[in-house]
Amino acid sequence: MRVKIGVYFCNCGGNISGKVDSELVRRALETGCDMGYFKTCELMCSDDGKAYLRDEIAAEKPDRIVIAACSPREHENTFMRVLSGAGMNPYLMQMVNIREQVAWVTPDVRLASLKAAALIKGAVKRVAFHKPLEMKSIEMSPDVMVIGAGPAGLKAALTIAQTGRKVTLVEKRAVIGGQPVLYEEVFPNLQCAPCMLEPMLDEILHGDYAKNIEILTLSEVVELYGFYGNFIAKIRKTPRYADMNQCIGCGECIGLCPVDVKNEFNNGLDSRKAISLSFAGALPNVPFIDMAACLRARGEDCRLCDEACPLGGGIILYDDTEEIVERRMGAVIVAVGASLYDAGLISNLGLGRLPDVYTSFEFERLLSSTGPTGGQLLTRSGRTPRSIAIIHCVGSLDSKHKEYCSGICCQYAFKFNLMVGRKLPDTQIHHLHKELVYPGKEEYFLYKRAKENPNAVFIQYKDIDTLCVTEAEDGIMIVNSSIKADMVVLCPAVVPSKDNGKLNETLGTTVDMFGFFEELHATLDPVMAKVRGIYIAGACQSPMSIQQAITQGMATAGYALSGIVGGKRLEIEPITASVDADRCSGCRVCALVCPYKAIGFDEQNKKSSVNEVLCEGCGSCVAACPAGAINGNHFTNDAILAEIEGVLACLNQG
Amino acid sequence: MFEPRIVGFLCNWCSYAGADKAARAYPPNVNVVRVMCSGRVDPQFILKAYKAGADGVLVLACHPGDCHYKEGNYKALARHRILLRVLAEHGIESARCRFDYVSASEGDRFIEIITEMTDAVRALGKRS
Ligand SMILES: Cc1cc2nc3c(=O)[nH]c(=O)nc-3n(C[C@H](O)[C@H](O)[C@H](O)COP(=O)(O)OP(=O)(O)OC[C@H]3O[C@@H](n4cnc5c(N)ncnc54)[C@H](O)[C@@H]3O)c2cc1C
Ligand code: SF4
Ligand code: SF4
Ligand code: FES
Repeated sequence: MRVKIGVYFCNCGGNISGKVDSELVRRALETGCDMGYFKTCELMCSDDGKAYLRDEIAAEKPDRIVIAACSPREHENTFMRVLSGAGMNPYLMQMVNIREQVAWVTPDVRLASLKAAALIKGAVKRVAFHKPLEMKSIEMSPDVMVIGAGPAGLKAALTIAQTGRKVTLVEKRAVIGGQPVLYEEVFPNLQCAPCMLEPMLDEILHGDYAKNIEILTLSEVVELYGFYGNFIAKIRKTPRYADMNQCIGCGECIGLCPVDVKNEFNNGLDSRKAISLSFAGALPNVPFIDMAACLRARGEDCRLCDEACPLGGGIILYDDTEEIVERRMGAVIVAVGASLYDAGLISNLGLGRLPDVYTSFEFERLLSSTGPTGGQLLTRSGRTPRSIAIIHCVGSLDSKHKEYCSGICCQYAFKFNLMVGRKLPDTQIHHLHKELVYPGKEEYFLYKRAKENPNAVFIQYKDIDTLCVTEAEDGIMIVNSSIKADMVVLCPAVVPSKDNGKLNETLGTTVDMFGFFEELHATLDPVMAKVRGIYIAGACQSPMSIQQAITQGMATAGYALSGIVGGKRLEIEPITASVDADRCSGCRVCALVCPYKAIGFDEQNKKSSVNEVLCEGCGSCVAACPAGAINGNHFTNDAILAEIEGVLACLNQG
Repeated sequence: MFEPRIVGFLCNWCSYAGADKAARAYPPNVNVVRVMCSGRVDPQFILKAYKAGADGVLVLACHPGDCHYKEGNYKALARHRILLRVLAEHGIESARCRFDYVSASEGDRFIEIITEMTDAVRALGKRS
């Protein structure tokens, strides 16, 4: 049966008809292609034009339609909707761009008309091969997994839980809250950090929506499979050895423990017991046993902590074991934060060599009332520092290390300045900086306050290699042969966490040239990963402040909430690829070229197949398959080959 | 004067959008076939174009790193390099088959490429 192909030529209110002669076009199309009829229309995209098209479809009953008008990027969707409304499958239409790519750029009417005719001929030949395509849909899980319980992850989890949706919050450490729970005060306003964070942590743990949040501490995601709307994660829970539900957090068990180990929460500046609460105020308020340090791991039958528990037995669980749990979710939010560049690599600064050279993290703990000195500023030998040097830009802005600006270091350095000023009003502070940055509506004021500190001096240096920290007498150090300092604080570049790479592989996402999780679009979609359904928030995407991390956490929650709504099904675009199993030789070239990991392999039959949800329809596999076994919907080989023939056929005559 | 016939395969996201932004007159010799991504351009399309009478073929992609589908343009470039060798064996000069990048905002770059390509193929003459 011959298909009836109707061609509609839009004058575009003179935009097209002023340069392209529709009569000439019509005549050129009468031979060499299977055009059923040719009609012109004044302004197809107007309400009248759309009504006209609808009536035409009813009257002419064409099998296929070609619309020669503006760019398909402008109105393809408009006309597809008209077709749908008129009861015609929207994929049975092809648009030809005779405005942007012909009328507007070809002054000669005859040449413009011939070019338009060639392009329309290509479309007429192509559209004959179009197949009706249907949107499909599948069920989606409305639940979400959040990885990382810092400000970004917590805000995301809370926002989602408040809508009644279930969240699994996976945190590697024993405590939630991320880095900021270790700070005493936070910039820009030097607010008390615990006072600011605790209400949020409390809401997560005990608030109205806590029942919607499952918190898995000491846990890591080890596998993720599936796709947008239907992910399945395997999560490894390492044992805590204490019953999270029954423990009241009194801490009686800790005092009796005979083992001391370096406290990683205080960067090893003091020690903790093998059973520990991390630091005062840590949440969840349940101790954990560091089994590597516990005497029981060495075969001894120590039960001191269990015996100390006022609730009796059963709270301390020596037999607790590692567990792999499985959870299903529709979306994943990655909020694993960042870490600091190893400032020891810049050896002239003395970190690791001189006892009173500290990283900024270590200094935060020295300032903190829950830290190793209870918030008292003291050197290792217990002296009150009379002079402190803060070195900014350590490893940042430096092509030998990290070329980007870490953004937050200046702000926390100003914070240090003011906190030291309050604790020790006579202590001198030298800021050594390569650059100083303070963008934003509050940041400059913090700088101004730091600068107004009468004991503060700001000195710019050019190259970190020229800075030199040496030891003088009495543990006093000399920075750059002139500045005396009892303490030197380094502000290292913010870098991706060490295990970012591993997690990135597990999730199938991508990282940027620095190792931060990569966004789909740096400007328009900064919190979407390149894998559909995975979102990134906070410092794992780029160095940022708590405020920015919180904002991103909410942004990811927004995507998860609007993308997956309970009861809503996932619509699958029909422009996808599919493998003809009979022709597939099992070479797996397609899986290699697919940027979306959309192609799976059936080991038994040795055949590849495309997951329609993951497939974005780029057609890379279609072009790559050596067996010609893959069909790309709507952009089939037949259709494109016919179009090529068409666009050249007309030129043959002209 | 000999007027060459050229088929241009443009990816939907960058180069086709760039072509839409070209706002000055340029030679009408390139007829565009839109594909979703340059990675979809099967070498058989290019061979087909020559068979159907094209004097030249142009493949335009998003700039490296900008492909809407992450890396289709890398695949396309790799394939193009191999294809040039095959074409040489068939006596088709490399100037008749060009691969280049045009972003969604580079209307002027598009005009430049179309003009250069048309001139180059015109200079080579009709494909025999
Ligand atoms: C010295 C210093 C001082 C600072 N002071 C301030 C300040 O005063 N004000 C301010 O606004 N900002 C400050 N910042 C920046 C602030 O720390 C960050 O903005 C904030 O921590 C970012 O939050 P986040 O949730 O993205 O990451 P984080 O706070 O780092 O939280 C990430 C969480 O993810 C967990 N995690 C990591 N990997 C995994 C994994 N594989 N699986 C599961 N969980 C994982 C971590 O254990 C952590 O709990 C400072 C930064 C530094 C370095
Ligand atoms: S490239 Fe083609 S033949 Fe090879 S596995 Fe994929 S579908 Fe099968
Ligand atoms: S069309 Fe593109 S996204 Fe879809 S399966 Fe093929 S390579 Fe993957
Ligand atoms: S989308 Fe333009 S090259 Fe892939």
